[in-house]
Amino acid sequence: MKLVPTLFLSGAADKHRRWVALAVAAQVLFILLVAGAGSAISSYGRAVVLRTSPVDPRDLLYGDYVTLNYDVSQLPRPLWRGSEAPRRHRPVYVELRPTSAGYYEAVAVYPAEPASLPADHVALRGWIVNVWRQGLQLRYGLERYYVPEGEGRKLERRAGRQPLLVHVSVAPWDQSRITRVEIAPKPAERP
Amino acid sequence: MSRKFIEIEGQHWVEQGIISPDQHQRLLALYPEQQRAIGLLPLLGSLLVGLSALSLVAANWQDLPELLRLGLLIGSMVGAYLGGEHFLQRGFRSMGIGLVALGLILFGAGIVLTSQMYQLVGYDVTGLLAWVVAGVVLTFIYQSHFLFILAVAIGVLAQGYSVGSLSSYSYASALLMAGGLGYYWWRRPDALCGAILATGLLWQSALLINHLHIKITWFFVPAMLVYAAGDWQPNRPAARALQAPPLVAAFLFMLGLGMFGEAGSYTDQLRPHFVGFVGALLLVFGLSVAGKHARGHLSSAADWLLLLPGYYFPGGLPLAVAALVVLYAYTGSVLYRGFQEQAADRVNLGTALFILTTMVAYFKLTWEFMDKSLFFLLGGLLLLGLSWYLRRRARSIPPSNPPTP
Repeated sequence: MKLVPTLFLSGAADKHRRWVALAVAAQVLFILLVAGAGSAISSYGRAVVLRTSPVDPRDLLYGDYVTLNYDVSQLPRPLWRGSEAPRRHRPVYVELRPTSAGYYEAVAVYPAEPASLPADHVALRGWIVNVWRQGLQLRYGLERYYVPEGEGRKLERRAGRQPLLVHVSVAPWDQSRITRVEIAPKPAERP
Repeated sequence: MSRKFIEIEGQHWVEQGIISPDQHQRLLALYPEQQRAIGLLPLLGSLLVGLSALSLVAANWQDLPELLRLGLLIGSMVGAYLGGEHFLQRGFRSMGIGLVALGLILFGAGIVLTSQMYQLVGYDVTGLLAWVVAGVVLTFIYQSHFLFILAVAIGVLAQGYSVGSLSSYSYASALLMAGGLGYYWWRRPDALCGAILATGLLWQSALLINHLHIKITWFFVPAMLVYAAGDWQPNRPAARALQAPPLVAAFLFMLGLGMFGEAGSYTDQLRPHFVGFVGALLLVFGLSVAGKHARGHLSSAADWLLLLPGYYFPGGLPLAVAALVVLYAYTGSVLYRGFQEQAADRVNLGTALFILTTMVAYFKLTWEFMDKSLFFLLGGLLLLGLSWYLRRRARSIPPSNPPTP
C-alpha cells in the first residue's frame, strides 16, 4: 500500500521503488492483456462448429484437459492450394464451409490467408504437423480443452465413441479459441 | 576459515596462553559474521503458504466468476510483491526476497490459469517468455542470488515446454538466459550462480541440438563457449564454477567413448562435417586460450584435451583406446596442476578422476581376456595400490592451502 504514493516522489532512493512499480505494473498488464485477448476473440470472432473424430474414451481425458482430434486435423492432399509442396511447421489457412449437419468441413488449404471467401466461409489458421503422400496433418492450437472440474469424467462417459461438437470463435486477427464443447447427437436421432 | 572455528578454538588458544584475548578479538574481526546468502526457512515457508493457497483456490476455481478469478490472481501477485517490498524496507532481506519470488511464481501461475480460463493454451510460448523476462528483470532490480536461480529455473522450464510440447525452439528464451542472466553474473560473479547458470545454458544447448537434429557432438561448441566465457571472467572461483558443468559434460562424454566406443555402430552419429565442426571448435578454443592468456592462467588450457575429437577415428578398439589416452592425459594434467599449485582440492579431484579412468580402462581392456576371479582380484589390487600411492602424494601437500587464483 506504500508503493503507490512513492511512485510520485523523486530521489535516488525511490528509483528502486519506481522500477519495482514498473515491473509489477507490466506483469499485471500482461495478465490483463491475456484475459482481454480471450474475451475479445469471443466477442469479435465468428462462431464455427468443428466435429471431432470419434475418440477412444480411455485416451480422452488427460489431466485436467481433454485432447481433441478434429475431422479437419487430417485433410486429403488435393485440398492443398499452394504452388509449392507443403512443408512441416508452416502456417496454413484452412477454408471452412458450414454443412447441413451443423458443423463445418474443410474446402481448401492455403499457404497464405485467402483474399476473398464466400460470406458463410471462414478461414481458420493452423500449422502443418506432418505431410504424407495422401494428406496433411494439421494442428490449430485448439487441441486441448480445459474442462471444468469433474466435467471431464462426465464428458468422457457420455461421449463414448461418439464425436464431439466443438464451438470455436475465430477472430479477424487469426486467433481462435474454444468456447463450448457438446456431444454430437446420434445419427439416429437426427431428423 | 570459518568464524565459528575461531570462536571455539580461539577460546582454547587464549586459555593456553598462545594468543591474548585482544588478539582473539582481532582475529575474529577479520571474519565478520556473514549474512546467510539464502535464508532457507522463510523461503520454504513462503512456498508452502503459496501452495496451500493455490490448492484451496484451485479446488473451487471453476465455481468462481471469471472477474473474481482474475482479481484473485492479480491481487495475490501484487500482494506478494508489496509484502516483499515491505519486508525489504525493514531489513528482512530473505523474507522480502522470498515474497518477491512468490510474486514471480504467482505471475507464472496467473499467465497459465488466465490462458486456461479463456481456452487460450494454444501453441504459443509468449506467456512463458513473459515469465522469463519478469524473472530476469526482477533479478536485476533486487540483485538477489535466489531470484537469479529462480529465473534460470523458469528459463529451463520455458525451453523444455517449448521443445517438448510445442516442438519449436524458443531462441528468445535462450538469449534471455545467456544475455540477461549471463550479463548479471558477469557483473556480479558468484560461484553457486555460475554453476547453475552454466547448467541452464547446457540444457538450452542440448535442446537446441535436439531441435536442429544435428550431430550431438555440436553440443560442445555452445558448451565450450560457456567455458570460454569463464576464462575471461576475472573472478576465479566464480569462473571455475561456471566452467565446471561444461567440463563435467566433456569428461562424461569422453568416458562414454572409452566405455562404448568399441561398438562403433553409432560413431557415425558423432561425426559432423569435419571442416565446419572443427573450425567452430577451434574458434571457441582460440577465444578460450586468449582469455586464459589475458587473465594469466594458461596452464588450465589442458582442459581442452577433453575436447579432442577422437570420434573421427574409425570406431572399435582404436577409438576406445584413443579416448582412454585422452582421459589419462587430462587426469594427469589435473594432478600435475594440483601438485604444481599445491592445491589439495585439485589433487583430490585428479585422484578421483584418475582412479575412475583406470577402472574403465582396466575393465575395457581385460574383461574379455581374463578369468573373472583373477580380473577382480588384480583390478582390486591395482586400485588399492593406486589410491594408496596417490593419497600419499596428496598428503604431502598442506591440506588447508587456499586455491591459488
